[in-house]
Amino acid sequence: MIYDEPKFLPGGDRFIEMELGNELNFDLNFLVHSLSAKIREAEITGLIELLPNMASIVISYDPDLISFSDLKREVLGHYHNMGSLEGMELLSPIYYIPVLYCDPVTRGCWEDYCAKIGEKEYDCDVLVRLNNLDGYEQLARIHSGTEYWVAALGFYPGLASLIALDPRCRLTAPKYNPPRTWTAKGTIGYGGSVTCVYPANTPGGYQMIGHTPVPVCDMDQRLPAFSQDLALLRPGDRVRFFPIGQEEYDYVERRVTAGDYVHNVAHYAKFSIRAYHEWLETLDMKERF
Amino acid sequence: MALSVEVIKAGLETSVQDFPGRYGFWEQGFPPSGPFDMWSFRLANVLVGNGPEAAGLECQFMGPTLRFSEDCVVAFTGAEMNPTLDGEAFPMWESVAVTAGQVLACGFARVGARAYLAISGGIDVPTVLGARATFHMAGVGGMEGHALKDGQSLNVGAGAGAGAGVPGRRVKQDCRPAISDNKEWQIEVVQGPNDDWIADDGIERFLTSEWKLQARSNRTGYRLEGPDWIFADKASAKGPEHGEHPSNILDHGYPVGSINLCGQTPIILVNDAPSAGGFINPFTVPSAAFWKLAQSKPNDIYRFRRVSVDEAQELRRSIDRLCAVESIA
Amino acid sequence: MKFDTPKFMPGGDHFILVQFGDDASIDLNFMALGLTAAIKAEEVTGVVDTNPSYNSLVVEYESDDISYADLQTELAHLIDGLGSVENLELDSRLAYLPVVYLDPWTRDCVADYSEKIAPREYDPDFVADVNGFEDAKQLARIHSGTEHWVVTVCSTPGLPLMRALDPRCAITSPKYNPPRTWTTLGAIGVGGLSSSIYTTPGPGGYNLIGRTPVPLWDPRQRHPVFKDRVVLLDAADRVKFVPISEEEFEYTEARVADGSYEFNITAYQRFSVGAYKKWVSSLNQDGQF
Repeated sequence: MIYDEPKFLPGGDRFIEMELGNELNFDLNFLVHSLSAKIREAEITGLIELLPNMASIVISYDPDLISFSDLKREVLGHYHNMGSLEGMELLSPIYYIPVLYCDPVTRGCWEDYCAKIGEKEYDCDVLVRLNNLDGYEQLARIHSGTEYWVAALGFYPGLASLIALDPRCRLTAPKYNPPRTWTAKGTIGYGGSVTCVYPANTPGGYQMIGHTPVPVCDMDQRLPAFSQDLALLRPGDRVRFFPIGQEEYDYVERRVTAGDYVHNVAHYAKFSIRAYHEWLETLDMKERF
Repeated sequence: MALSVEVIKAGLETSVQDFPGRYGFWEQGFPPSGPFDMWSFRLANVLVGNGPEAAGLECQFMGPTLRFSEDCVVAFTGAEMNPTLDGEAFPMWESVAVTAGQVLACGFARVGARAYLAISGGIDVPTVLGARATFHMAGVGGMEGHALKDGQSLNVGAGAGAGAGVPGRRVKQDCRPAISDNKEWQIEVVQGPNDDWIADDGIERFLTSEWKLQARSNRTGYRLEGPDWIFADKASAKGPEHGEHPSNILDHGYPVGSINLCGQTPIILVNDAPSAGGFINPFTVPSAAFWKLAQSKPNDIYRFRRVSVDEAQELRRSIDRLCAVESIA
Repeated sequence: MKFDTPKFMPGGDHFILVQFGDDASIDLNFMALGLTAAIKAEEVTGVVDTNPSYNSLVVEYESDDISYADLQTELAHLIDGLGSVENLELDSRLAYLPVVYLDPWTRDCVADYSEKIAPREYDPDFVADVNGFEDAKQLARIHSGTEHWVVTVCSTPGLPLMRALDPRCAITSPKYNPPRTWTTLGAIGVGGLSSSIYTTPGPGGYNLIGRTPVPLWDPRQRHPVFKDRVVLLDAADRVKFVPISEEEFEYTEARVADGSYEFNITAYQRFSVGAYKKWVSSLNQDGQF
């Protein structure tokens, strides 16, 4: 739910976790990002930076310049001044990313975890079982059947948390316990109700369901898509995955290595909150791809 | 002639850091990095007359062996690594004149874990995303994104603050962090943000138990070993989007210093830790206690002392006041 | 070229043709679709139907309710109100259509023509050749790499006439001469600078490059998506083709047949002509999928 009043929770001496709600809810996330934009514009003295995420914002501040309670009061003021979200429209580029589902690379990573840390069910089987799917094909069909909203960046440079815009495609998955010490770069992960693309070889806890040869973060800014930025995605962007076979995977990987891979992005549609709500009403929630 | 420093031996993990580290890119996934023991680091810069923004070296467990190409002034603070200059004992917590060609060598840290080396003028590496601090996991900052390697050469900047490069200055004893080798620490902790996910007896258990620092700990995270945590009802009565385990929460930002509970493994998130994730943070270690974490070694025992936000802020201020020229004799 | 002022011409006694220019510049179609939207919004008296095309709009009217001259005046007024084409924003749904590229069914169709009417190279190879692509696989990659803009729905029921929005994905090819006498149902064709989908198995002249199992019209309105409409797509919608395997085609075909197929259409975007132009000018025209 979206809380009536946000909670301000202390994080040590110089952080505040502002919780606006406790669920995965597109409107809530949109509120988080709109509020973050508003707070940034306000340029509050003593506020160092913001870390917006799904349903919360972590605020870092300088206690020598502003106290916990003064900062809370100012931010709450901005929160109460936010207008209605209904009328908002946001230019939202969409990125098309090819994925080889239930692929050999992530299978290898799972096998390594089983050998070194602990036995565990194969990740794609976990998703199929917990979500009552027919099999891996349906997993691929459902996962790739929706656009995803970039709800947050974080955990690691270039890592975006994606939430399904089509609620019929929302799956659930537990996280690894304990987490993995490594994940192959390009792994498509699923944890809770969030999906992501691992931008580099990092530790991780999401179930691994596929792999993309397309980079989403490039420290050296080699490929054209990274000419302005190290990371491909920003909150408010959208992503759509599409299934490919091993042959197409190998082809794309060759183009990435050669440095002439062109990311597939369409940057001309405005996302309309009102239209989104209307569209949601038209969906038959009992149906699945 | 510009000063350069030859890295004869890099040491176990020596990296360029600057204070306060990298800010403004947290939202894109870049942690602050910067020196782990901010107290010792800042005093090293004060000793050699550098401004607070000057970059220095953080030496972990075993420091480097360096040769200086020109005359300069250098200071070594933090853990005792028995530094020598051309074989002679090199005093800690003092600014020392070094002449061209001399070699500074270090051994294993006897007391404490991390030492800091400042050179008058500051280490001159390119700033990346606004800072010289090294974030090794992403290959950003410092010496080409990583810890020092044998054979590299460090440039030293020309800039310096007032009192630049004056040897023979010492940090007063009572202005230094009390780094000891007694293997037990009392670590301040602020309750929250997600303390309400832990049952009252779980809170009590955390605050009254001993926690052992595991060997698999580093600037990314400090793993603790201790009793199981007891969760409140809230940790189970939640939507499926949080994830199954009671410690799983809908992804959220991680304050630096969070005690991040991954299943039953608490991991203190420190300078190079991930910026966000899906586990709860029932307690947070405040800035003022970071030097203690930085100076501990695997198997050291922690006991946590709860303080309020106000107390934690006052503790930090008191340390900040000590990182100034008034602490120099 | 774009005319300084649009030309109005009578088409018999109850049609008026509004022409914005005489070439295939996409702006002219945007103007035609902008006018279509304005006519609907204003509920202009006497208008019976509208039929847009590349650079023009045919308006059917009831001459008892409005005269040609009055209608022309009203339309000219609405065109003024649209302002410059850069300011246009249009409701634009995005339909994801699965397609098997280089499929066996259209291959048979082309082979049949080659045998009975005139010898002919396999269409995808021919089109790849004419456009200087590496091979037919690259044709598939390029065709599916862009969203296709529905210029108009015409010729046979539900048939969308489309053009690539990403200029790097422009494909041109000559049409069959003479045309085929029949075409595989659901075939994807390219000809001139357009793409289309065959919604009846009738004659046709476009080069066949793939096939979709998804129906684009249903007079019996069996599927929920056809509840309020007879044809799937409208002018100003967009189509993204998603390459699938033959197995997936058969699976989808079975779900279409039993009525359980879920159409994958999002309806929460507005197409911004201004943003589109900006995006086009930002592209490196040498980059190719």
